Amino acid sequence: MSFALGVLPVVLLLLGFPIFIVLLASVSVALVFFMHMPLAALHQNMFGSINAFALLAIPFFVYAGELMGRGSVAQRLVDFVQAGVGSVRGSLAVTTVGTSAIFGAISGVSAACVATIGRIMYPAMRRAGYPEHFAAGLVTAVGAIDIIIPPSIPMIVYGAAAEESVPRLYAAGVVPGLMLSLMLAGYVMWFARRNSIGAGEAFKFDHFLRATARGVWALGMPFIILGGIYGGIFSPTEAAAVACVYAAFVTRFIFRELGWRDIVEAASVTVLFSAQILIIVACAGVFSWLLTVNQVPAAIVAWLQSLNISAWTFLLTVNVILLAVGCFLDPLSAILLLTPLLVPLVKAFGIDTVHFGIVVTVNLAIGLFHPPFGMNIFVAQSVLGLELRAIYRGIIPFLVIYLIALVLITYIPAISLGGMRFLLGVN
Amino acid sequence: MVTRILDRLIWWIERLLAYAFIAAVGLNFINVIGRYGFGQTILSADELQIYIMVFMTFLGAAVVAWRNHHLRMDVVVNALPLPLRRLVRMAELAVIVILTAFVLWNSAYYAEQMFTIGRVSDMARVPMWIPHGAVAVGFGLIALIGCLRFVQALTGRPLGVGKFGTET
Repeated sequence: MSFALGVLPVVLLLLGFPIFIVLLASVSVALVFFMHMPLAALHQNMFGSINAFALLAIPFFVYAGELMGRGSVAQRLVDFVQAGVGSVRGSLAVTTVGTSAIFGAISGVSAACVATIGRIMYPAMRRAGYPEHFAAGLVTAVGAIDIIIPPSIPMIVYGAAAEESVPRLYAAGVVPGLMLSLMLAGYVMWFARRNSIGAGEAFKFDHFLRATARGVWALGMPFIILGGIYGGIFSPTEAAAVACVYAAFVTRFIFRELGWRDIVEAASVTVLFSAQILIIVACAGVFSWLLTVNQVPAAIVAWLQSLNISAWTFLLTVNVILLAVGCFLDPLSAILLLTPLLVPLVKAFGIDTVHFGIVVTVNLAIGLFHPPFGMNIFVAQSVLGLELRAIYRGIIPFLVIYLIALVLITYIPAISLGGMRFLLGVN
Repeated sequence: MVTRILDRLIWWIERLLAYAFIAAVGLNFINVIGRYGFGQTILSADELQIYIMVFMTFLGAAVVAWRNHHLRMDVVVNALPLPLRRLVRMAELAVIVILTAFVLWNSAYYAEQMFTIGRVSDMARVPMWIPHGAVAVGFGLIALIGCLRFVQALTGRPLGVGKFGTET
């Protein structure tokens, strides 16, 4: 059995087989050769994993982001943040951070953030005299905030895998996301001051009002999503569907930038992206069921308890594993593969599963731009035509900032849980 | 010939799924408006949306397979020498065909059982063999795509490009 559930998936994963096939191979071999169970369990569990209303939030949020990402929404957000930032030293870099944070509250797909914001901000920063490696590193790294600030697709997937509430996870992601944004903004301001990079235009209230008026429809999206969920009006899935209709309405009728064909095209892109994820969700559901039936998590818990390690050490180990995994695997696949194994251990150590969900998300967010294989590195390379060397060099200081934030978020649960309790109004 | 037929079929599936997905968004939105505006909801809407997602998952997986976009960790295999990489690719295609054919058989049997007993969903009264059949159809298509690619790889024929610009 350890061959089917341990050796086989690792070997196939390393050989580059599609992840859903890796999981399917593992469960099929276990069911056919090692277990005496009806084979119908394979179909039942696969179908049952997808037969969940909460999972609809994934394609809905992707679609809303896809619609808002087309046209001038990003430019309007940039103008709004830039007008608000005013003459702060390093205003363009601060605008990049601020716009990405707001974009994160609209989209939830990190690569889209890097491509959309990067296309606007990278040339602007270069024209303003920012070094190539700094601008490249910033636009590549800042997109990772997107999956920490709600709505976050990885949090929905974690919620499904760990049987944890998505609104609680979203509420817990707000403060870590904002904290990271402030840390990044602080660093870029310090960098600009040290390198005497020019400040922006002085703050002008009428200019700010104009930019706000242009951006107000785009800024309305986070209010609908988060206000709807925490106002008790919608479930996350309903908030996502309302966000889709809002995005289609704004881009079609207010901005007049998308035609019906674009709206269908965006749906088509969403279907393909969602299918990539959901087929893994389906197969991971069977894999997770097999692990539970064979008492694998319980055996690992017992083994760890026999080692007498502390929760502190456990979290450190998990962080190292997740950072390593995040360098090679996309966040959603990593969550689906590891959550069924890790969550029973987390519970055994008395760690809050919401707090752990945020730790997992931040770890995998770092993996998105961690050299050498972080996905956002290649997005920045292809969209902005940058050299890998410049990106790698530029990423390092931002990587350090993210790692400091990760340590704080891991060992100070109040950063995530405090925000959650405040937003949900619970003790 | 087979490539062309599959390419057109996949294109149609992708379009249909896109429209079905838009319908799911619409259904959800109508339910929200109905609940707050008129105090009424379409009871079957949740079920219908879930079944659309089931179709998106399994038929969508076939579209993703056709586009060669399934998520994988290819760092290690890309570092292998070309002949070894080809060998791994052949092994992968063989495993894909065997496994997806196994799921096809398994799911088709399950869907047939649903059809035989005439099971329908609780609210929307959708015959349950339809959503369960989507699993079989999706994996069946992936098996077909796998077979086609395996034969192409075996005969050393260059990979074709379909009418709709699809890498095959």
